[in-house]
Amino acid sequence: MELDECLEKLYKAQLLPEVTVRALCFKLKEMLVKESNVIHIQTPVTVVGDMHGQFHDMLEIFQIGGPVPDTNYLFLGDYVDRGLYSVETIMLLIVLKLRYPSRIHLLRGNHESRQITQSYGFYTECLNKYGGNSRVWQYLTDIFDYLVLCCIIDDEIFCVHGGLSPNVQTIDQIKIIDRFREIPHDGAMADLVWSDPEENNNPTLDHPDNSGQHFQVSPRGAGYTFGRSVVEKFLRMNDMNRIYRAHQLCNEGYQIYFDGLVTTVWSAPNYCYRCGNKASILELYSKDQFYFNVFEEAPENKLLKENSLNDNYSEDSITNSVVNRKLIADYFEDDSASTDGSTDPEMYMFSDVYQARSASNRHVDYFL
Amino acid sequence: MSRRNSPPLRSSGINTIQLNAAREMHARTVRARRMPIPTSGITAPSILPTATTTATNTVLPAMPARHICNNPNNPPCVHCGSVIIPSPQATLPLEDNPSITINDWTISSRKKPILNSQELDLWENEKLKGLTLPEMIFGNNYIRIENPKLDWSIEFNALDALRNVQLQDSGIRVAYSSDWINSKRRQNSANAAQRYANDVSDDSLNIIHKYDWTYTTRYRGTENPPASRFRLDNDQTLPLDKLAVHDKILFYDDMILFEDELADNGISILNVKIRVMNERLLLLSRFFLRVDDVLVRVYDTRLYVEFDENKVIRESKEFEGKYQDVLAKHRLSQSHDPKAALRDSSWVAQNTPMVKRECEIIEF
Repeated sequence: MELDECLEKLYKAQLLPEVTVRALCFKLKEMLVKESNVIHIQTPVTVVGDMHGQFHDMLEIFQIGGPVPDTNYLFLGDYVDRGLYSVETIMLLIVLKLRYPSRIHLLRGNHESRQITQSYGFYTECLNKYGGNSRVWQYLTDIFDYLVLCCIIDDEIFCVHGGLSPNVQTIDQIKIIDRFREIPHDGAMADLVWSDPEENNNPTLDHPDNSGQHFQVSPRGAGYTFGRSVVEKFLRMNDMNRIYRAHQLCNEGYQIYFDGLVTTVWSAPNYCYRCGNKASILELYSKDQFYFNVFEEAPENKLLKENSLNDNYSEDSITNSVVNRKLIADYFEDDSASTDGSTDPEMYMFSDVYQARSASNRHVDYFL
Repeated sequence: MSRRNSPPLRSSGINTIQLNAAREMHARTVRARRMPIPTSGITAPSILPTATTTATNTVLPAMPARHICNNPNNPPCVHCGSVIIPSPQATLPLEDNPSITINDWTISSRKKPILNSQELDLWENEKLKGLTLPEMIFGNNYIRIENPKLDWSIEFNALDALRNVQLQDSGIRVAYSSDWINSKRRQNSANAAQRYANDVSDDSLNIIHKYDWTYTTRYRGTENPPASRFRLDNDQTLPLDKLAVHDKILFYDDMILFEDELADNGISILNVKIRVMNERLLLLSRFFLRVDDVLVRVYDTRLYVEFDENKVIRESKEFEGKYQDVLAKHRLSQSHDPKAALRDSSWVAQNTPMVKRECEIIEF
């Protein structure tokens, strides 16, 4: 299948056949294996944070920020898990990368991992969408091993999914990591996709020795939080200006730490279809000119709400996943039926009839 | 950098057209929740249907009408043909507080989005000092049950639930913690030998900021007045026979108070749901914790109110088990996706040993 043909299908949220997925993954692997762990790009570019399978919101991003290849994109990782359309999301990104290799760049997030995806929904989704076999999941998680770890924009802005690592003082130390593997629990590669900044608000409370400025072990017993002095030192040593990262939910769509030295970009609005948060994409025009384009969830998501599709919290997740598939299928059937323009899906959704129907369908449960 | 710290606004004020559109949308949502009325003779119920007006209606149901819908936005109640189900949370700053009154008991709830960064700052620096907050806090949500005549109420909210989280080390570590710490120790001693400058000294491998990162809470609701009127009586049980009857549900809500994904090491979530029937109500507050490859925990609090007897029973159960033991139970059953069941708190509760049960009662 031609790439453009794949794109056309994917934009309509149709699944590609298993053989095509396999071929695409193979192609992408060939491309990514040549890339360094750290890629260098130039502005203008639009930086996108976590997507988590919220496919319709990603389409919304291409509406708001401009389509590929007219706009350059840098995605900071976490494409899969939690949302209901992880397969569609990652497949669209893969095909876009193959079609426009210099226009879109994909970093690795902590969810681009075999272990995590088994616990957080991507594995289950692959099984559900590909008739109970896990081969598509295998192809896709194999690709994850090839994704690059960091990106440097205009030689000044360091971009990574999670944050800094005590094992990494210089960019060259990142370049020598062997990245073609499952994300380990330990070491520089793990820290880059896992660690979080921590602003030290209470210097008197817990950190009499000012340790809040440095790396701290998380109370979970693994992983780091990094403080201001770590960031300052890293930026100074590498002659950089600031850091963009994703990895943490923020209600406003972005969060600024250490007076702008570190910024979190979050791009999954109404996260998990229930948080009610905003999301943003960061549009960088030049190294000093930028704009947080803040947006809310795509209207398509609202279709999902009353059915409480997130099988994480359903009373009966096993039968629920079957129901999911049916509902999703129904939805896309509706969608393709409406392309002839006879029914405007948006009108339909906000119509009294629809609302009344969804209100009566809303889940009421004789729990004990 | 000029936009830093200020939310990026598209324009300085709100456009009137947008405002009207928003109002219209809200009105539609609200209207849609009024069910079509089965009998054609009666027009939409007056804005505030009271027990007396509905009682004189011709569409009398089998049971006597005795409850009052307090919120004009509520869809009509059973007399008028439907169940009261609060709307999904409004994203606009519109308040929607569904509420119902039966006898002197009033039940109300509120659902709003997660806290914004200003609210989070306030919580972090004042209200919950010392706790690193969970990722998602639905801090403006609540379910409240009150009886002004008896001067008693109980509310379930996130703030009080999080106040119950211990500000000390829970002792729980993620599965790979010891490997991780040990490898750091080795590395540090190697570094020290080389006199290599490092940001992590051996000291800093001790956890400095101590709080229960699993957010385990034994929260059982906030009473007002604060002096608890519950009396411990473990011989009491919930009247399951009465609850098993499918009486018409007049009011139903289900909400999350807080949730954290434990940096992808599992989940910690507090969920509250309530169903109100003509003669009684049942509320379930469930704290669910799963630390992958370590443990699972379900702390349930059920609150039962019998309206006519003015009797309140509160039963709390704690379930806890090793992750592998619970997973093994599922492996026995079936499935090539065993971890899916461990995302389902009900399944986990049923398959995890109970470690504690307490029952309390108030008889007014």
